[in-house]
Amino acid sequence: MPFVDGLYNTAYRMTRNAQDAEDLVQETYLKAYRYYDKFEEGTNFKAWLFKILKNTFINNYRKKQQAPPQSDFAEIEDAFESRLSSDVSGQMKSPEEEILENVLDEDVQRALDDLPPDYRMAVLLADLEGFSYKEIADILELPLGTVMSRLYRGRKLLESAMLTYAKEHGYLRSGEPSKMRSSQLREGSKEQK
Amino acid sequence: MNCSRVREIIFLYADNELGEELLVSVQEHVVVCPQCARRIDYTRRLLTVVRKGCTGTRAPESLRKRILNSLRHPEVEWEG
Repeated sequence: MPFVDGLYNTAYRMTRNAQDAEDLVQETYLKAYRYYDKFEEGTNFKAWLFKILKNTFINNYRKKQQAPPQSDFAEIEDAFESRLSSDVSGQMKSPEEEILENVLDEDVQRALDDLPPDYRMAVLLADLEGFSYKEIADILELPLGTVMSRLYRGRKLLESAMLTYAKEHGYLRSGEPSKMRSSQLREGSKEQK
Repeated sequence: MNCSRVREIIFLYADNELGEELLVSVQEHVVVCPQCARRIDYTRRLLTVVRKGCTGTRAPESLRKRILNSLRHPEVEWEG
């Protein structure tokens, strides 16, 4: 079954729910089957499938009128934008390079989940699926400049959130007793002796 | 090319999406600017961390079976 893992991975990251992701992927294949005559031979089949997935996600989302868990898109974007402007204006600092070493897979996943859906989709298509900017523009039906802008902003937001999460567990590891587990405390006290 | 321009187009560079002229300008700048060289290295590592952090979720076997079944009887699934 071509590209099923990539489609499922993207669907799961967009819906943040295994059952919804399965439904979305199944509907994508059914539509691809039904409308296969619309596919132009010699063009990019993978990109075509992802375009169907994207359109199905948008349609289902609007149909169900699901709100994202936190609040509406505009609010999320506003919050992120202010975070972005305060985080990316400065020079690159070496602590960020150090923190990057401590980023766990779950930090990445959590940071991705936090991204506004439009940015998340662009980042997933580029960084998970390895689509070129032109292919992403085709899938999302957006101008190339918008794709570049979403990727830039999306990745900067992702970076900021990932580093924040990595800092949080780095802080715990470095030892705030009240938040440490008792087993960790016992181990810590043994080490000190 | 200057450092602020490199920051603007750093993802295009890391993604191999720059045209020849800009690509050469960045490469020439990086030779004389260790900060930008470091920034580019950091950006590449960042993208690797992102890629590694969210790949690996395989479609469940049950989904594959479900899709195959639905493609055998697409009219039922479509109406349902």
